[in-house]
Amino acid sequence: MASNHSSSEEVKRHRVEGPQKHIVAFVLSLALTIIAFAAVAAGDINTTFTYIILVAMAIIQVFVQLAFWMHMKDRGHLFPIIAIVAGVFVVFTAVITAVYWVWW
Amino acid sequence: MSAHQHAEGHLPHEPEKATLEGRNKILGFWIFLGAETVLFGTLFSAFIALRHQVLDGPHPSHLFELPMIFAATMILLTSSLMSVFAVQAMHNNKVKAMIGWLLVTILLGLAFLGLEITEFNTYVSEGHNMKTSAFSSSFYTLVGFHGAHVAFGVLWIGLLITQIFKKGLTVVTAPKIYLSAIYWHFIDVVWVFIFTVVYLMGKVG
Amino acid sequence: MSTHAANTAHDAHAHTHTVKRYRGLMDWLTTVDHKKIGILYLIAGFFFFLVGGAEAIMIRIQLLKPMNDFVAADTFNELLTMHGTTMIFLAAMPMLFALMNAVVPLQLGARDVAFPFLNSLGFWTFFAGGILLNLGWFDASAPDAGWTAYAPLSGPTFNGSRAMDYYVIGLQIAGIGTLLGGINFMATIINMRAPGMSFMRMPMFTWAIFITSVLIVFAFPVLTVGLVALMFDRLFGANFFESGTGGNEVLWEHIFWIFGHPEVYILILPAFGVISEVVSTFSRKRLFGYSSMVFALVLIAFLGFMVWAHHMFATGLGPVANALFSIGTMLIAVPTGVKIFNWLFTLWGGSIRYTTAMLFAVGFIPTFVMGGVTGVMLASAPADYQYHDSYFVVAHFHYVIVGGLILGIFAGLHYWWPKMFGRHLNEGLGKLTFWTFFIGFHLTFFVQHFLGLLGMPRRVWTYLPNQGLDNMNLISSIGAFLMGIGTIVFVTNVIITWLKPRNAEADAWEDGRSLEWTIPSPPPEYNFKQTPLVRGADAWWKEKMDGKTEMTPAEPVGPIHMPSPSILPLIMSIGLFIAGFGFMYDNLLATIGGLAVTFACMFLRSVFDDHGFHIDPEHEEVHA
Repeated sequence: MASNHSSSEEVKRHRVEGPQKHIVAFVLSLALTIIAFAAVAAGDINTTFTYIILVAMAIIQVFVQLAFWMHMKDRGHLFPIIAIVAGVFVVFTAVITAVYWVWW
Repeated sequence: MSAHQHAEGHLPHEPEKATLEGRNKILGFWIFLGAETVLFGTLFSAFIALRHQVLDGPHPSHLFELPMIFAATMILLTSSLMSVFAVQAMHNNKVKAMIGWLLVTILLGLAFLGLEITEFNTYVSEGHNMKTSAFSSSFYTLVGFHGAHVAFGVLWIGLLITQIFKKGLTVVTAPKIYLSAIYWHFIDVVWVFIFTVVYLMGKVG
Repeated sequence: MSTHAANTAHDAHAHTHTVKRYRGLMDWLTTVDHKKIGILYLIAGFFFFLVGGAEAIMIRIQLLKPMNDFVAADTFNELLTMHGTTMIFLAAMPMLFALMNAVVPLQLGARDVAFPFLNSLGFWTFFAGGILLNLGWFDASAPDAGWTAYAPLSGPTFNGSRAMDYYVIGLQIAGIGTLLGGINFMATIINMRAPGMSFMRMPMFTWAIFITSVLIVFAFPVLTVGLVALMFDRLFGANFFESGTGGNEVLWEHIFWIFGHPEVYILILPAFGVISEVVSTFSRKRLFGYSSMVFALVLIAFLGFMVWAHHMFATGLGPVANALFSIGTMLIAVPTGVKIFNWLFTLWGGSIRYTTAMLFAVGFIPTFVMGGVTGVMLASAPADYQYHDSYFVVAHFHYVIVGGLILGIFAGLHYWWPKMFGRHLNEGLGKLTFWTFFIGFHLTFFVQHFLGLLGMPRRVWTYLPNQGLDNMNLISSIGAFLMGIGTIVFVTNVIITWLKPRNAEADAWEDGRSLEWTIPSPPPEYNFKQTPLVRGADAWWKEKMDGKTEMTPAEPVGPIHMPSPSILPLIMSIGLFIAGFGFMYDNLLATIGGLAVTFACMFLRSVFDDHGFHIDPEHEEVHA
């Protein structure tokens, strides 16, 4: 690829994407999943603390996948980001409701 | 359209974004995913509200089998990686490799569905069905909705593979491949919350 | 783009011959043209408006005098449920969709929406759902648990008949159509703007539709989930809202209102947009405070998602939640107030023309303010314990929905009628519509504030004599009849206009400001012969002020690519309609068959690419 000096711009546009960053994302996701399962399998940690670990691992993993696999870190993704953030905002209110305002 | 076809030999680097139709589709699909986020989020909040209402049914900590859930998680995570490889192959204009990765993706998707069906079967035999309790209703609705999305994804990607065989990779088919991959990742993202909130938290109590 | 057009120039004729063009009824059933879909929405929406209006008249006849027995008590429940559901989901929203389809692509300088096929699908699913919902009347019983369908009243334990199944499944199908519309218009407004039209140069109606679409996209899935849960409870013995088996009724209230409150803004924001356009055009002035108008829209949308529990103060969420939601609700008065003052300042010093559309707009402003003020009163949680479930609430939401939205729709219809149909509605009859409807509206609902304060609960079938309610109920009923007369005058006006020749000018009101007034009335199929170049806000007004008689084109004249018409959306909706009945009547064959039809259409749509066809505008003009 890089041997063709005469059309370096062409090379830049048609650059071959490497699988490396996706494998890194995969390994990260794998590690986060294993931590979450291990925290539950271990069994004797206190419940609230386990919940915090679980939610933290899930959120980090989702960020990793959104950024790398769903290309949200790439250019031109302003409206996709707005769409997901707005969705998450509504979900957030719904979950708060479920936790605090359904049973009392 | 004829103008697009003889351009097949040298597709642009990101063929999915080459036409206005393609860009519209991608944007519209992201907006749809925003709506899907709310859909699943509401299902989650219903589940969170009702998850302790087990009544006489089996308790989640007895019901759920961590090894099986872990296996399902690994399968779906790997299939997500496969579909990102497919998009990468598409960007590098390697159509055969792309079809290969897509095939692996749907095979893993089918394996996931198989596991889920077995799992639901076991639960029903243990007296945990739609009518058992508010917990069971919200469980089946949430996880079932996700399963239905996986099934739809498998059918969709399968259909796209046949289209690639017939039509080849063009600026018309490329956005479809790209979107099916985004959809597939989204399903995986939802699953991350399902195994966390439904299974792991259910196991903890 | 232009080179592509040049390449395919000689193919254009071949395409026009190979693609099947339908005529007559088939044209309407297969159209993917946003202007025709707008007209379909208008016809269907107005049909349901008449149905819902007839239900309202029957409600008012029943309440005309104390201890009346015009309808039976259970019929009354069906009437009030179907009146609310029909008016909101099947009349108001489709008429808004009619306006947005007819106008938004034109205001953007676009040839069509981003997804013409989905646009058609959205219409037909809405229509199938609306018909299904209303078929309850011909079955055992129409839905009768209120438009809010509160559990447990709507659940299987207390509502064993099929009545609420029609509500659940009909709304579910109609909701799909609405969601598709929302996605479509968001994508259209983001991606399809003409060159030079930045976000902050978009006409205010388009901005309002953009924000409305955002609300639709993020609120409707919540309703979908609520309806799925209720459907599972009713049809498959699930326990979401069944307290006997661990369910929770308050969960339904939350889900319904997390959707339902944004829904209220979905209804009113487009009206805000219409009023902004009409006020600015007929004051012959730039809209005052454009950027604050945009900011107010965004803020209303944001706050609209955070105030749903003000519908549930009396549920007993506790002082912390009630206080939070009280304050949030009162905050919405601020951006709304900004909009009201901006309209007033637009009027101020303008050279005003009181056309029918302008009359509706000017009538809208004080009426909506009254609805807003009672809204702030209701937002105070302790006071709400008194107002709750009384006619005061009925008066409030009719002031914002009828006095706001319906006046806005009437304004929009009179304003854009020449653009949609090429004919001006009769101004005399239009003004008669306004005065009968406007006076009738205030007669009907103003007294209901006091009925509520006197303690008359909403949704009651009848009331005892000599409790101070008799006269005001009579006045209210007379007002309702007057509104009915106003509607009949409007229908007459439409029919009379229909018989007149198509003679509307491109710039039908001569003071048009935005791009829809630069093209013929009604516009050709492809809207713009050449995509216009936008050089500022109020694009067309700016060109006129610079002494131009047409927009500067952004491209040469060439063949224009158009999407092919398709019958698939109609068939998909029929499939869903059949599947809906299959679910209701527990008929597996119908369920699977109906869904199979829908999926088969999706399959066909995916496999067979739509190549569309080309129109040569120069060639067309010879014929026209």
